[in-house]
Amino acid sequence: MMGSSKKNPAQLKNNTIGEDKQMNINKPAQSKRKDTNKVWDFFCSVKLAVIIILVMAVACVLGTVIVQGRAFDEYTARYGSGLASFIRITQLNNVFYSHWFSILLVLLCANLICCTIRRWRNTFLQTGFVLTHLSLVLILIGGVIKFQLGVKGGVNVYEGKSVDYFLTQKIDSSGRMDYVKKSLPFSIALDKFILEKNEPKYQIVTYVKDKDKQKIIEAKIGKRQRIPGSDYRVTINDYIPDAELKQEPVNESDNPDNPAIFLQLFGSERLIAEGWLLAHANNYHDEKKQDLRLEYIWLSSQQEFDNAVNTIQNAHAKVSVSVPELGILQDYSLELNKTFKLSGSEYSLRMLEYVLNYGDRRPISEQPANNPAVQVEIEGPDGVETRWIFENFPDWDKMHPAKYENIKISCSNIANSHMTKNVFRIYQAPGENKKIVYIRDKQIVETIPWELEKQYSFTHNSYQLTISNYYPSFNIKKDVVKKSDQIGTPAINIRIDGPNGKLENWLFADSKYATWYKDNNFAMIYESTGESVKHYISDLRIVKNNQTVMEKSIKVNDPLKYDGYAIYQSSYDAEKLSYSGLQIVKDPGIPVVYSGFGALCFGVVFIFYVKPFLRKKKKIGNEVAENEYS
Amino acid sequence: MSIVNLTLIVYVVASISYVVREIWRSIPVKWISLGLLILAFCLNLTLVLKRSIEAGHPPFSNLYESLIFYACCTAFVYIIFEFVYNFRIVGALASILAMLILLYATLQDDTIRPIMPALKSNWMLVHVVTYMLGYAAFGIAFVTSIIYLVTKPFSKKGSDSKESDSNKEILPRNFDKLSYKIVAFGFPFLTLGMVTGAVWAKKAWGDYWSWDPKETWSLITWLAYLVYLHTPLVLPKMKVSKSKMSVALAFWLLVSFGIVNFTFVGLNYLPSADDSMHVYGAK
Ligand code: HEM
Repeated sequence: MMGSSKKNPAQLKNNTIGEDKQMNINKPAQSKRKDTNKVWDFFCSVKLAVIIILVMAVACVLGTVIVQGRAFDEYTARYGSGLASFIRITQLNNVFYSHWFSILLVLLCANLICCTIRRWRNTFLQTGFVLTHLSLVLILIGGVIKFQLGVKGGVNVYEGKSVDYFLTQKIDSSGRMDYVKKSLPFSIALDKFILEKNEPKYQIVTYVKDKDKQKIIEAKIGKRQRIPGSDYRVTINDYIPDAELKQEPVNESDNPDNPAIFLQLFGSERLIAEGWLLAHANNYHDEKKQDLRLEYIWLSSQQEFDNAVNTIQNAHAKVSVSVPELGILQDYSLELNKTFKLSGSEYSLRMLEYVLNYGDRRPISEQPANNPAVQVEIEGPDGVETRWIFENFPDWDKMHPAKYENIKISCSNIANSHMTKNVFRIYQAPGENKKIVYIRDKQIVETIPWELEKQYSFTHNSYQLTISNYYPSFNIKKDVVKKSDQIGTPAINIRIDGPNGKLENWLFADSKYATWYKDNNFAMIYESTGESVKHYISDLRIVKNNQTVMEKSIKVNDPLKYDGYAIYQSSYDAEKLSYSGLQIVKDPGIPVVYSGFGALCFGVVFIFYVKPFLRKKKKIGNEVAENEYS
Repeated sequence: MSIVNLTLIVYVVASISYVVREIWRSIPVKWISLGLLILAFCLNLTLVLKRSIEAGHPPFSNLYESLIFYACCTAFVYIIFEFVYNFRIVGALASILAMLILLYATLQDDTIRPIMPALKSNWMLVHVVTYMLGYAAFGIAFVTSIIYLVTKPFSKKGSDSKESDSNKEILPRNFDKLSYKIVAFGFPFLTLGMVTGAVWAKKAWGDYWSWDPKETWSLITWLAYLVYLHTPLVLPKMKVSKSKMSVALAFWLLVSFGIVNFTFVGLNYLPSADDSMHVYGAK
């Protein structure tokens, strides 16, 4: 083989005689001119080659270890002023475009050319040697052409617009990057920009809390996967590409432990509202616009039922007043414009106004009970003070300076003091005790017994009521169903086996909440990995003298070439997709470089595969010949 | 058991059988050890194919995929060589090397992600495959260099030239020649990998060479092996003895393989990695 064979006498004997002879012819010719010979020898030597290659390698290492092409201030900040000025003087901030690196490349070229000339022998076996060494020269020449005559820059074009220039980068005297505008001999019009995205992908992320360890596991159905370093195992039972959570009311038993009715309210034959009312949970529905309330009241005995049906009970709204140093603690019911004397003191109190949602400009009948408040007037020895008392913020008055700081006032149940104009109370107790009570302006107007699925109208209003269903033991069954076959909101059904037994659950993609295992130590989420870009394409048109001379849709890996320029798709406006980022390159050295590439590939293959193969063949041939002659 | 674990185990078993073969030289043991390594290679190949089917693209889009392919290539190149030369103990270390690469792969994030537009190119396919074959060859050369350096003190001097005529039986003191042959096999692949990489970069980014850290380090790798290929022409002229030169070259191959691996997986540690578009995981 190439290196070791030269010094190996055993193999030299097998080499072609022609090569050796030519070498002998060369030598006496060289020794005549001694001085030039030394320089010539030096430029031909492998020693120089090895030195150049090593220095280049070191330069490359420096060029990646030291960040390149930054402003000089940055080097001072990074390495200190001493080292920074060393970097500046030695051009280590821009190794690959420095003068000394150019000199290195020139030396390399000289070495390659000289050694090729010296070893030039017109034998077939030398093909590889000549091709590889000269190919490198070609590539370097191509590089110089690019550096001298080529340009490279970029420009953003907006859809429907065109450009006839681009911007190149240049390092200015302070080492900073600067932009230079270059004009083009034609203009580039962007007719359309298209962004294609991949189908969203999803992944399962698990989290073990006590280890603070996160892991992404495969979303593969039926595979039981152990979460490394823990006792949890996860199995994916099912997958739905587009899932929906259906919540279906069901009746669990005949035991009235959670009574509920399904109610429909009509006004002049038009459905106004319908839904479930649960006696023990959300037992009323307000129709604010109509100043109407529907209530469902469950009573556990006939006696309670009889009492309730005949009275208008209202949870008491009250205002509590305390004056700690006088030992006064007094509750008052909410009655507007009535003066209450605080017994045992000089104060008196008057409630001026109440609201259900403080700051809400609407009439009180339309206000939701978000922030109930009462306005109270206190009269005392120092005059009159008015303040708002908030039910939900009992400490509010403490934070605001008040005249009578010693008087603390709080309130509760304000929302209940307001009774809507029309109230339908649907009463029910075990047995056949069912009645609808219609209350208007706090007066019972009508009482009628009810049955399921009948429509009731009233003499004093135009509403109709239907109670279409009754579940004594109401519950909601959650069910995950398939909405479509496309990828919408995917969901997976998982089973977690852990120290506290198994847990089965549906995980919806990109849900706001993680699914926790019973021991609160293991959680899972199912999330999309984000939409990724598949392709981005710009429909370009080259316009010259107002005429379209070329059209092409370019994308990454598929540029447009015109008039020595190549136009590449390089980026796009990620936010608004309004422009397409193009890279514009002109490199007249390309044919030279590419021939160098071709020669290099061919050359190395020849040296390391073809030549040894030919040698081996020849060697066998020689052996045969030797045997024949001996 | 997962295929990965099985592959890892078979690699280890193959390695052990190569050690056995070194002690107990018999034809059946020879075929058993080679058979085991071929089995491990097939398992590894299955892993690569399975992955590319699952991902829907050639398995080179991230570090995990490249590493399992690299391990596969290492086994492949070794097996090819064993059919040409009598490799003996090299197989033990070669399969351990493949195993370690695969083990390192299992530590990486194996999430399947969509392939980015720039990677959709046939040039990239050729580029990666040739590079991996080159790297694999250099891995084997690394192993033979280790063996050369370890066995050198025990081998007798002065009988080099006799055995070197026969390529079939490599004796311990000839491991340096073996290293050379493997580098000579791998170097064209490295060169092709670099050239196709440049052509691909030109198509995708508009420039065949931009001194990007990944590009620069692959040039450093190439230069390192170029030094290895040229020094045998220099040192004898400088009156360095042949055996000293072999030792130096063996050491140089160890260093060079270190450079290969740095180029492959170590670039993230460079301060300039943020500027690179080729560094795995930089984005
Ligand atoms: C792909 C890259 C290269 C390959 C494959 C290669 C290969 C070779 C080969 C096969 C030889 C002849 C050895 C022999 O038959 O005795 C050689 C010699 C030589 N190479 Fe390279 N080489 C490459 C790059 C370089 C570079 C970059 C330089 C230097 C700048 C260089 C400088 C030399 C010199 C000076 C010789 C000695 C010629 C002589 O013996 O007269 N080579 N190279």
